[in-house]
Amino acid sequence: MEVTVLIQATDEAFKIIEEARNRALDVLNTSVRFTAEAKVLEEKKVQDIFKGAERTKSEVLSFLATFALLFFPFWMPLSGFFDVFHLSIGVGCCALVAYISHDLLFVNVRVGDMRTIVKRFFAYIPWLLYQIYLASVHVIKIVLKPKMPIDPRIIRFKTKLQTDISMVTFANSITLTPGTITVEIKDGEYYVHAIDEEVAYDLLYGGEMEDRVAHVYMEAEHVYVQDVLDVARIYGALR
Amino acid sequence: MIITYEDIIIRTLTRVLAPFLQLYALYVIAHGHYSPGGGFQGGVILAASFILMVISFGLDMARRRLSEKVDIIFLCLGLLIYSGTGALCLALGGNFLDYRELTKILPVTIARARALGILFVETGVGFGVMAVMTSLVYDISTGGLPPERR
Repeated sequence: MEVTVLIQATDEAFKIIEEARNRALDVLNTSVRFTAEAKVLEEKKVQDIFKGAERTKSEVLSFLATFALLFFPFWMPLSGFFDVFHLSIGVGCCALVAYISHDLLFVNVRVGDMRTIVKRFFAYIPWLLYQIYLASVHVIKIVLKPKMPIDPRIIRFKTKLQTDISMVTFANSITLTPGTITVEIKDGEYYVHAIDEEVAYDLLYGGEMEDRVAHVYMEAEHVYVQDVLDVARIYGALR
Repeated sequence: MIITYEDIIIRTLTRVLAPFLQLYALYVIAHGHYSPGGGFQGGVILAASFILMVISFGLDMARRRLSEKVDIIFLCLGLLIYSGTGALCLALGGNFLDYRELTKILPVTIARARALGILFVETGVGFGVMAVMTSLVYDISTGGLPPERR
């Protein structure tokens, strides 16, 4: 009898000890969780501050770039007066416009690439003019033939270009070339009106203009012939 | 109601064009006393840049850039600059908008004072015209309803 009482007492004592241990574990876990949460929150706060600083920095950068682009190549030749009065008006106006619309001009531009893009763009223009000349000759031939063999059609093709600005450059290059007009860009597909079959097939299967535009805007996975040649030249010089 | 339609070409070209359009408008206003143009023309070009944004990006984006409240402030500011210049000349003892009287408070010659007076007045006219044109487009595109009842 005494033995059973003793055993029961021991059991109860064990139970109490177990409970106490569980409770202590719970408290420990909770405290650990709270610490972790506090840590995450703090990290988030630091990150937010960092991100805010980053955004402010990029805003200031785009403001300065817009200001420079507006003031030096646009306002100064337009104005033509270089006295203090007119220059200060110019600085004020450019600062106002740059403040209103600094987020319009420079969107999704990697700052380091800007110089290369501008250089390549100006190199692209003579080629485009030559292409316009060729297409004009083609259209003149069609028009002067007595039968006038036009065969108008709207072709649709998917583009490899990725950014907005390159798509727009390509679309406007197509429109500038006589015989073809970009009707619409929708979901990365071009709808182009072409005057006859040859022009259409040139655009569909030639793809040189698209490659060149991709080269201008430095889009990934585009190896333009000029690049290969450049590399070969460097390789030869090294050897 | 203006229905927005996503067109990459129009949107991108608007983005590139709008700052130059605005700066050209300010140039036309600022050089109105030397070359053709002036307050009204510059104001209309300035308004055209905002109207272009309303057309290509939709009303909300344009309103974030130039809200109706700021628009009204610009309207009143333009009127204030215009009539203030005129009234200043009146107060200095001349006729309304008689810029010669500005020589009494500004250390410049009479010819320069006239040019400066024209510049002030044109700035006022430009702001006023810009605000009126933009608010006209806002009103037309929202059916004239105030913002809380759209």
